[in-house]
Amino acid sequence: MSEVEEVGAQQIAPIGLPAIFAGFFWLGITSFGGGTAGWLYREIVERRGWINDAEFLTGAALGRMMPGSGGVNLTVQVGQRLRGGAGAVVAVLGLLTGPLVIVLALAVGYTRINQSSAVHAVFNGVAAAAIGLTFATGLKLVQFRVASAGPLAVTLATVLGVGVLRWPMMPVVLFLAPVSIGLALITRRRPNA
Amino acid sequence: MPDDPRTLLALALVFAPLSLLSIGGGASLLAEIEHQTITVHGWTTQREFADLFAISRAAPGPGTMLSTLIGWKVAGLAGALTATVALYLPSSLLVYGAARLWGRWRGSVWHAVVERGLAPIAAGLILAGGIAVLRVSPGGAAVWVAAIASTALILRWPGLHPLLLFVIGGVVFGLAEATGMW
Repeated sequence: MSEVEEVGAQQIAPIGLPAIFAGFFWLGITSFGGGTAGWLYREIVERRGWINDAEFLTGAALGRMMPGSGGVNLTVQVGQRLRGGAGAVVAVLGLLTGPLVIVLALAVGYTRINQSSAVHAVFNGVAAAAIGLTFATGLKLVQFRVASAGPLAVTLATVLGVGVLRWPMMPVVLFLAPVSIGLALITRRRPNA
Repeated sequence: MPDDPRTLLALALVFAPLSLLSIGGGASLLAEIEHQTITVHGWTTQREFADLFAISRAAPGPGTMLSTLIGWKVAGLAGALTATVALYLPSSLLVYGAARLWGRWRGSVWHAVVERGLAPIAAGLILAGGIAVLRVSPGGAAVWVAAIASTALILRWPGLHPLLLFVIGGVVFGLAEATGMW
């Protein structure tokens, strides 16, 4: 890949491909229990500051609305944002290499841990903590982004529809997105008018 | 027949279409993978499939590593790589295209407005995702309590490393099970 990537792909200093690989490798091996978004927020947004909250949230929303794994989709977008095509490839390779090795190692050793209910209990405990990280990430972002009543109502409607009532995600999002974007458009004009 | 190119092609032909059909999470995907793996191709027995699924849940990483395990079972390392790439490449290419397109509008009014509009929905989807995982978790009420406790701890002490909580969660649940506390 040449240095001439996307316009605006390099905001301050370009982040090296080895750093991108290392960042996402760590993310891959620590994201137990499906908490990739929570870990990505912590490692990539909070600690490294590679993207901002708004970019993370857009990536998370698009990542879930498009086919594929939400975590991988978010990773593709962050890699693309940081270093274009090469960034996306390196980020995804970094993310998947560790889990691939670990899952194969587990498969080889599985017959030994298969019957132990204590092992299953350990997985449940880890999964519970991972869900806690996911909730904490979501709540932090509600506090940060959703200062007024309108966006807060949109967040609550999303949680209620998709999380509690288990409606299919796409219709809920396709209904709420125009409402929410319209709301953003109206409130945006106020300070400038 | 680990080196049989036809086996690798069959793996790719099963998982690549699933890559583009798997919108909104793994539940529907899982049913289709199961159908293809057991019924259509006879790659695993019901029992083997259940074992592979249990392993994939235990491993870290995004989404399903189940395809990796099925590929490995069918055709060794080459199969594992083929199945993994087949499941993630098509959707990733699509997302990459969308990200490029989206990036082109960066700086425009519309980009900022859409970003602001999507933010509260994204936060809601992240929370809903946590609820969905909690719902299918086999650990019962203890998992709900532990998840809420972890949430409170992480929000109260942002410096606390989540991995420490993962270890504590694993140890507490493991000990409780081993000592017959529940």
